[in-house]
Amino acid sequence: MDKVEGKAGEFNVTLIKKPRYIEEEKCTGCGACVEFCPILIQDQYNQNLSLNKAIHVYFSQAIPLVTYIDPEHCLFLRDRKCTICTGVCNKNAIDLFQKPERLEIEVGSIILAPGFEIFDPKLRNDYGYGKIQNVVTSLDYERILCSTGPYEGELRRLSDGKHPHKIAWIQCVGSRQSIPGGNSYCSSVCCAYTQKQVIVTKDHDAKAECTIFHNDVRSFGKDFERFYQRTENLPGVRFIRSYVTLGKEIPGTKNVTLRYATNEDGVKEEEFDLVVLSVGLTPPDEVKDLAEKFNIELTSQGFCKTNSVNAIETTRQGIFVSGAFQGPVDIPESIVTASGADALCSQLLAYRRGEMAIKREYPGERDVSKEEPRVGVFVCHCGANIGRVVNVPSVVKYASGLKHVVHAQEALFACATDTAKKIAETIQEKGLNRVVVAACTPRTHEPLFRDTLREGGINPYYFEMANIREHCSWVHAREKEIATRKAKDIVRMSVARAARLKPLQELNLPVDKRALVVGGGVAGMTSALSLAHQGFEVFLIEKRSELGGMARKLYSTLEGLDVQAYVNDLIRNAFQHPSVHVMTDATITTASGYVGNFATTIKTGEMIKEVRHGIAVIATGAEEYKPTEYLYGQDERVLTQIELGERIAKGEERVTHSQSVVMIQCVGCRNEERNYCSRVCCGHSIKNALKLKEINSGMDIYLLYRDMRTYGFAEDYYREAANKNVKFIRYEAEDKPRVEMVEEGGERRLKVTVTDFVLGAKLEIDADLLVLSAAVVPPATNTELSRLFKVSLNPDGFFQEAHVKLRPVDFAAEGVFLCGMAHYPKNLSEAISEAYGASGRAVTILSRDSVTASGAVSEVHEKDCVSCGICLSVCTCGAIEFHDTPQGKKAWVNPVLCEGDGLCTAKCPTGAIQLKHFTDDDLIAQIDAAVRED
Amino acid sequence: MGQFAEQFDKGSVDSHAGDVMVVGGGISGVQASLDLASSGFKVYLVDKAPAIGGKMAQLDKTFPTNDCSI
Amino acid sequence: MCTGRIDPGFILRAFANGTDGVYIGGCWPGECHYPTEGNYHALSMVLLTQKMLKHIGVHPGRLMVEWVSAAEGIRFAEVMNDVVKRVKELGPIGRAEGIDENRLKLKLEAIRNLLPYIKLVEQERLGGHFHSEEEIKKFYGSEEMDRLFRELIVDPLVMSEIMMLLREKPLTVGEISAGLGLGSSEASRYLNRSSRQGWVRFDQRQKRFVSVRSQGVGTRSVERRG
Repeated sequence: MDKVEGKAGEFNVTLIKKPRYIEEEKCTGCGACVEFCPILIQDQYNQNLSLNKAIHVYFSQAIPLVTYIDPEHCLFLRDRKCTICTGVCNKNAIDLFQKPERLEIEVGSIILAPGFEIFDPKLRNDYGYGKIQNVVTSLDYERILCSTGPYEGELRRLSDGKHPHKIAWIQCVGSRQSIPGGNSYCSSVCCAYTQKQVIVTKDHDAKAECTIFHNDVRSFGKDFERFYQRTENLPGVRFIRSYVTLGKEIPGTKNVTLRYATNEDGVKEEEFDLVVLSVGLTPPDEVKDLAEKFNIELTSQGFCKTNSVNAIETTRQGIFVSGAFQGPVDIPESIVTASGADALCSQLLAYRRGEMAIKREYPGERDVSKEEPRVGVFVCHCGANIGRVVNVPSVVKYASGLKHVVHAQEALFACATDTAKKIAETIQEKGLNRVVVAACTPRTHEPLFRDTLREGGINPYYFEMANIREHCSWVHAREKEIATRKAKDIVRMSVARAARLKPLQELNLPVDKRALVVGGGVAGMTSALSLAHQGFEVFLIEKRSELGGMARKLYSTLEGLDVQAYVNDLIRNAFQHPSVHVMTDATITTASGYVGNFATTIKTGEMIKEVRHGIAVIATGAEEYKPTEYLYGQDERVLTQIELGERIAKGEERVTHSQSVVMIQCVGCRNEERNYCSRVCCGHSIKNALKLKEINSGMDIYLLYRDMRTYGFAEDYYREAANKNVKFIRYEAEDKPRVEMVEEGGERRLKVTVTDFVLGAKLEIDADLLVLSAAVVPPATNTELSRLFKVSLNPDGFFQEAHVKLRPVDFAAEGVFLCGMAHYPKNLSEAISEAYGASGRAVTILSRDSVTASGAVSEVHEKDCVSCGICLSVCTCGAIEFHDTPQGKKAWVNPVLCEGDGLCTAKCPTGAIQLKHFTDDDLIAQIDAAVRED
Repeated sequence: MGQFAEQFDKGSVDSHAGDVMVVGGGISGVQASLDLASSGFKVYLVDKAPAIGGKMAQLDKTFPTNDCSI
Repeated sequence: MCTGRIDPGFILRAFANGTDGVYIGGCWPGECHYPTEGNYHALSMVLLTQKMLKHIGVHPGRLMVEWVSAAEGIRFAEVMNDVVKRVKELGPIGRAEGIDENRLKLKLEAIRNLLPYIKLVEQERLGGHFHSEEEIKKFYGSEEMDRLFRELIVDPLVMSEIMMLLREKPLTVGEISAGLGLGSSEASRYLNRSSRQGWVRFDQRQKRFVSVRSQGVGTRSVERRG
């Protein structure tokens, strides 16, 4: 990156493309040069735990899969000494004289997603890291666990290559520290990734003893609480709440001792085979340089300074930020803000949408329907994932002997761009008319390979995937021989089916360019306005009589935003925007249709109206739990945090004149009934505690908590509260605080009793106010909505996204999206990011003229149809109807409405209705091949 | 950096035009690029590393589905 | 494709091929990815097929259905290990039950031939569509179901088996009752009914029953091309 000139809409960026000393178009990634290169260097991808060559491919699934030369180590580039690689490359792809190129690129907007670095414990020599071999960082450990890592997936330690058995994790390394060299914030992701590493470790070695030293387990993400319980309940796993110091490295064994303290046993020193430092996230390298070139501001911590409500906006117009450059965030948030940044760019550049986009061209489709099947089989190693267990060459040899197979070969990574290209070429060269790829799951990779078939000039439905990874190598890792036999069985079944596949045509259906947003809270309004700014018409419906949702009850955020002013602005904008049609007091009565073409009926008062739309966004928010515990509703001094916030804002005297305030966390959640953490309450109570301290710094505030979960930058406010003498007292789920009404001298006192673990004694507090941090609960109406839009709810009643990590604002049902607290409890700025994210994802559909419907739908062979009507009665998609033919009425399938489930086919008594691509013939062939060889 | 790698290929400055530039090819940058391209914009994705993927490409599996991260 | 797509014919085919166990993995009730809720249909189909397997002497536990969502990798592994354990305990199909291979094939084929009829019966007489797992299990465990099964399925099934036996060669009542494990009076009753339907007749010359038409009780085989 050289320089950035211009302004939003017309930036001019100068880049310097570093030479890789390889001509990318010529390199095939064959690796011959790597083999012959004499220079060994440390492999950065493997955290320097293994060696690589000066010329190498960055990692085995890298895109692009071509080599590059590390100029710092290459003998030629340093001293013009060696040219072995140029000699062995038979494609002449190596150009040691390549020069950096200067590129000038004009763009309308910029998204900064430089990511993060991990905290480097070497800098302060934390826990002996860098000196003691068996102290590693969590990212080092991640590489050690990985099949492409230094030990090819075997769990070994550095000092002697032995399998470590007793492993300790130390949390918060570099995070939650106010000492020099540390970061004051919480890195947000370490508690969860540590738990994942523990589970994976136990998978490797069921007897491993895993100890996690922590200071609060912060499982604040969706489903994280259950994940925490799963980890905690594994045998041999201990979570210990204690600070830890390094003892010593034991000479000889090179084991490491750690000193820690518990309430029960006092200080102890314990020996471990391996110590993993759960290191936090830091801003990316060279962040100052980046900020200068883009002329954006940074926070004091070195992250990108963002708008306090819209965390995707930088301080410079037209430049947006996504991912961990905003601050420490997990993968789903990185995806959400990426889609959100897309939406904000799209708002800015809506006027030029589609002008520069390039349409993909495919070669013409060869008609092979008259040919005998000519099947090509490609067996993937998936790096070591399959190859380490299944004998791939043996499977290839076996496949080549199967009936109809005319070509079989292996591939290191069948999904790599260059391999896919080669498969397409092989289809043409060998005249293949069916392709079987034996690799991983069709769920993620079938679209990719279907595309490869189109590139090869044959119908994409001539493709069949044999899953020899999830169904074979991953589950039979220790039984190599029978795993190989099973892989052959799976391949034989796939070939049998492939030979019978028929070409299918996909349907192009027009897209209705309008959107429906369900829920008029901050998330719903933000998403509706973003869609409108991107050039689309929106129906925004709210079941209550006013817009604003939960935010109407909030007065400020931890960061000091005036929420009421913000919400009122948003409401005004929603009503004023000509493309946003607001409907209040509205309920949905029916919903039908599919991506691109939904029809929803909405009832407002006595009026019923049908709305047609191409996508829907579910933003129905959440509610505060009404506690039944701790005398709530029985004594007016017992409030929820939201009620306290309202009363502080109104300056109510009972609140401002209180001398002693007790707050209890986790009321109504993290229990059997609601097995999740409500995420926002810790921040919420800190905010209210600080407000109260502002009013009266002498007020006694006791905050009774289980784990303080002030993740990210909220940690700073937690520290501030502690510094202002808010008293934090931890309680255990089994020993909850007790609240009683005590009558004394005509006075009714509110007495709170709690066990203080630090003092090891019962503490009694007289409270003027008792504030309950009540759970965030999903609205009861979610159930009905989930049925209407055919989207699912998680066990807690929140909406379930398509993929927790990679598709956080999509539903599995195409064309329906979600944002805000409908997904899970979250704070205002997170909900806003999600709202932009959902609108960004939605526009990927709305901006298209048509959507493609699968060709795998049912069809009727009329001469076999006996007009019994069973198919009509079971098809709740309404895709089947009778139509008149010269032979009487026969069933007919509307391919647009058919969802391809195939229930009709199983129910048809005569086999007249067949689900294409999954016909009786196809499946029977596969069933027969399971036991019979051709 | 090697001494011979420093000089520029002088005289050849390539000019390009697009809608959006995404800086960083990690999971967030890749997602932003894909969404933009699907919404009808031409995107330049730039990364300092020789391959895209960022930190997530280094992860073994991701919680809680334990999907591979690539 | 949905579990609702699974045709009982596939299961019978697998057993006829010598497979010892068939497991169907479906989405949790109420979580079908399709509006058709095919998993409820799959459960009904499994319960009915199990009844038919039991009727022909095959252990119904060889056919299993369990719900596993895409997010439940661990549960899936547990279920699969359990399936393998159960199938191993049951032993090889036919042999463990004491049915010889040819007889087993014939019995499975008899059901297969009857499938068109069974599908009509299932739709029209056996409850149609259900809305919960409990509802389905309750119905299939009820006395009402047992009665319907006897009347609507067992009788035609026995007749279908008789037809298949007679298609091989003419047989006496005694041979048929031995072949199907029926009492001789029961066998006579079925033969009388079949001859009233015009499917079999008693050949005075051979003193045996013979098949009249090649067609069985059902109209047509589902996998006529399979």
